[in-house]
Amino acid sequence: MRFAILIKATPTSEAGGTPDAKILEAMGKFNEELAAAGIMLSGEGLQSSSKGARVTFSGDKRTVHDGPFAETKELVAGFWIWQCKSLDEAIAWVKRCPNPFNEESEIEIRQVFELEDFGDEVTHKLRESEERLRAELAARKPN
Amino acid sequence: MRFMMLMIPKGYESAEPGAMPSAEAVAAMMKYNESLRKAGVLLSLDGLHPPSMGARVTFDGGKPHVIDGPFIEAKEVLGGYWMIQVRSREEAIEWAKRCPVLGNDTIEVRQVQEFADFPDDVQKELGRFPEMQPHHPGSRAS
Repeated sequence: MRFAILIKATPTSEAGGTPDAKILEAMGKFNEELAAAGIMLSGEGLQSSSKGARVTFSGDKRTVHDGPFAETKELVAGFWIWQCKSLDEAIAWVKRCPNPFNEESEIEIRQVFELEDFGDEVTHKLRESEERLRAELAARKPN
Repeated sequence: MRFMMLMIPKGYESAEPGAMPSAEAVAAMMKYNESLRKAGVLLSLDGLHPPSMGARVTFDGGKPHVIDGPFIEAKEVLGGYWMIQVRSREEAIEWAKRCPVLGNDTIEVRQVQEFADFPDDVQKELGRFPEMQPHHPGSRAS
């Protein structure tokens, strides 16, 4: 099972500062443990929402709002994709994660949809194009 | 530049465990994914099960505390994401606008941190841990 591990934003991450050396070192060690255990598939950090935008949809209408966005607690500051045997295993790993910021912070754990989660109705059509898509993305070299 | 398009579906914060998108929505999204692929901008994508099947870990000081989903106070939650490689923020927004959304959803467009974005001292620290670098060979596997 794959899980998305969402590191939620805090006032510090939204201020756009760089993490302090102590946290970086602890996070580096944690990442090495994840890699050694075969858990980590990918991970990225996001720039603060002030550099982002939102597109809201209503029928055929699309409205663009420039960042920053007020609800800091709901925003994502970074994420990993992990391969785990269960939700409990993902939770156990997250509990070992160094606190990502020098303040109260939160990490959300969400299971990723896999092809086999979809019912028979869409599976056949989906499977072919989805497998083709994933094979091509996996083959593409990082820029 | 890499951008993440974060899909925030309206009402997904209270979706039941096992809730699935309709076949119609999936078919429309597959077409859109195919157009991203053909344009050579798509790097990766995933859909997420409802938060009622997930958990949150909060850190207060050093102590982790686990909360099972659903998260009743959440006004918005992530339903999935696309990672894209484009030339500008405007191009990323254009792609977001083309998404075949059926309801009143929101797509948030956020720039991904690249190694070169960090100051020299932070780069030096990150350099000690190859797994933390965005272009580490293992970081794209799925």
